[in-house]
Amino acid sequence: MSGGNNSTYVPGLEGIIGAQTAISLVDGANGRLVYQGYVIADLAEAMSFEEVAFLLWEGRLPNRAELDALSSELASSRELTQAATIALDALPAETDPMDVLRSVVSIQGVEHRLAKPTRPLAIHATGSFPTILATFYRRQLGLPPVKPRSDLGHAANYLYMLNGKESSPEQVRALNTYLVLLADHGMNASTFTARVIASTESDLTSCLVGAIGALKGPAHGGAPSAVMDQLEKIETADRAETWLRDARKRKERFMGFGHRVYRVYDPRAKILKEMCRQMNPKFYDLASKVEEVALQILHEEHPERPQSTNVEFYSAGVLQAIGLPKEFFTPTFAVARVAGWSAHVLEQAAHNRIIRPQSEYIGPEPRKPVPLAERG
Amino acid sequence: MAELSPGLEGVVAAETAVSEVDGANGRLIYRGGYLIEDIAPVASFEEIAYLLWHGELPNEKELDALRQQMAAARSLNKSARGTLMAMDPSIDAMDVLRTVVSAQGASKALTKPSLEEAIAMTAIFPTIVGAAHRRRQGKDLVEPRSDLGHAANLLWMMDGQEPDPQKVHWVDSYLVLLADHGLNASTFAARVVASTGSDLASCVVGAIAALKGPAHGGATFAARTMLDKIGSADNAEKWLTEAHGRHERFSGFGHRVYRTYDPRAKILREMAKQAAPELHQTAARTEEVALKILHDAHPERPNATNVDFWASVVLTGAGIPKALFTCLFATSRVAGWTAHVLESLSDLRIIRPASRWVGPEPGRKPLQLAKR
Repeated sequence: MSGGNNSTYVPGLEGIIGAQTAISLVDGANGRLVYQGYVIADLAEAMSFEEVAFLLWEGRLPNRAELDALSSELASSRELTQAATIALDALPAETDPMDVLRSVVSIQGVEHRLAKPTRPLAIHATGSFPTILATFYRRQLGLPPVKPRSDLGHAANYLYMLNGKESSPEQVRALNTYLVLLADHGMNASTFTARVIASTESDLTSCLVGAIGALKGPAHGGAPSAVMDQLEKIETADRAETWLRDARKRKERFMGFGHRVYRVYDPRAKILKEMCRQMNPKFYDLASKVEEVALQILHEEHPERPQSTNVEFYSAGVLQAIGLPKEFFTPTFAVARVAGWSAHVLEQAAHNRIIRPQSEYIGPEPRKPVPLAERG
Repeated sequence: MAELSPGLEGVVAAETAVSEVDGANGRLIYRGGYLIEDIAPVASFEEIAYLLWHGELPNEKELDALRQQMAAARSLNKSARGTLMAMDPSIDAMDVLRTVVSAQGASKALTKPSLEEAIAMTAIFPTIVGAAHRRRQGKDLVEPRSDLGHAANLLWMMDGQEPDPQKVHWVDSYLVLLADHGLNASTFAARVVASTGSDLASCVVGAIAALKGPAHGGATFAARTMLDKIGSADNAEKWLTEAHGRHERFSGFGHRVYRTYDPRAKILREMAKQAAPELHQTAARTEEVALKILHDAHPERPNATNVDFWASVVLTGAGIPKALFTCLFATSRVAGWTAHVLESLSDLRIIRPASRWVGPEPGRKPLQLAKR
């Protein structure tokens, strides 16, 4: 009954091409993540988040003058509007920071109304995410907000606004690498949400708000805090084997494992793992043992499946080492991914066609309604 | 890997029993198997919402219970009120709706979408739309009334006076007709968000965001704007011929799915005669001329008056300003969005399509900053 087409239903659209893109490529077979032609390992520790955002938006790396211009535009987008500030204060201090981000991004972006998505709007939104989160974080702690510092880069300013003091160069570098690694990842669910919204010719704020809502889901961005929860339950490396095998008997999922696309080790997880080893040895000792046992158990159950440690597993250790509380792991994922979301929205808007798939009707055949008084 | 189908046209992205758009035969089927032309004359919006959520029409007792639950869920919480009052009254009402729904749904812990949440979510829309309208007019907000039905309460909260039963009927009929429509872009957005295990507010906020686009929910506004430009039946031929000469699109015409006249447009066209007689005349002549021009240009294409065209006339007759048209659409469709989200929970699998790489060959080496 579905419009006379012959296509069959593929759950989750797995393997169905949802869009064409030049922004990032997840080459699952070879374990490569590619931004605009550059392999992630060549960018992760060599580039600032600002350079990578420029790359995603423009398709090439910036020269010095372009990078300076972008940095100063981002710095000047760090203030919240008065309306956004009031709205942020209206939300109770115990609100999930993802809900805060969704609501405050929605109000911060209203000035632009139905403007077509543009790069200046993308910069404006990207610049505001750290301020929203840091302001709320400090409110939860009963601390006054800290004014953004325009002399600091994106990662350094975020940490400065969270803590009210500058972080160590090592922490800034680690957060920067995390932001670069997470900035884009093909047609993931939140990016796809942003593109579906963009396809109706809606505005950039609407696209980003939708993407935040999707990222919040535990099957997408909502998992890194769950990794931490699970590790906290395991407590020590010597308990890993017993705990994980018991968990399996209870049919519990191992957090931080499983990915639809990669058939070999996730290249981002590899980099984050090494960072954990250096920055967060306590986490590393526990996590690497848990990983080893979990992969062993998963392999015993499904020998045909690939090793599947995902990016969230070691993200948790890196973000912890930077000093972020686990409630801010997923929101910090959004701080990175907003660069990719907005790049995809710009790309979608440039080659648009409304995304309106078909559905397969599985309800009853047409019948007549019974009047209200006669219904049993 | 499969071929790229731009806009996922023809790609089946979900199985659903909530509604079916049978484009080839010009039929819209609501959950339970009811054709829109059979169900629309006999059911209120609340009955339709119940149907979309449960799969069966309610009996009198069930309907009463639902009405009471909805009436009890019409107040904004503190977060939502604070957020609403922070917003400049002149901003787009859809931005208000998106933001205030987000704040109303902000919570401490992630919850799985539930029927209770779907009811409360649906019930709050008229409160937000009414408040956005009154703030635009510079008027004080009106408290919701629990003795009124959904459509009547919406008009009450907009106007602050006892609603005209005739207008209530037109608004209610509109809400019934627009409550669901297969995997349209906003419903699909809601299902993609739901597929990650996110909460109901996130799904609905994403759907509002998609509905805001002129290519989707904004079309009713565009249709009314075109009718305003045309002004009178006498001017229709001249205006449309000139617009066609400038390669302008006719707002309110064209639909991806229907190959015959949209069954909802047919019902609204009839209703428009009484709801807005003068505008109906202009619209009827506009439709006649527009379809002729479109047929001459593309004889192979079907008659394509869409629901937005006639909805714009009926809503005008019901006293809804065009700045609120998209919000009215959302007030109706939220029943469908939430029904789709609840349905998708029974077999949740993350919606993550593939993409085709059209960028540079992977593996190029980045130049250092100083050398660029």
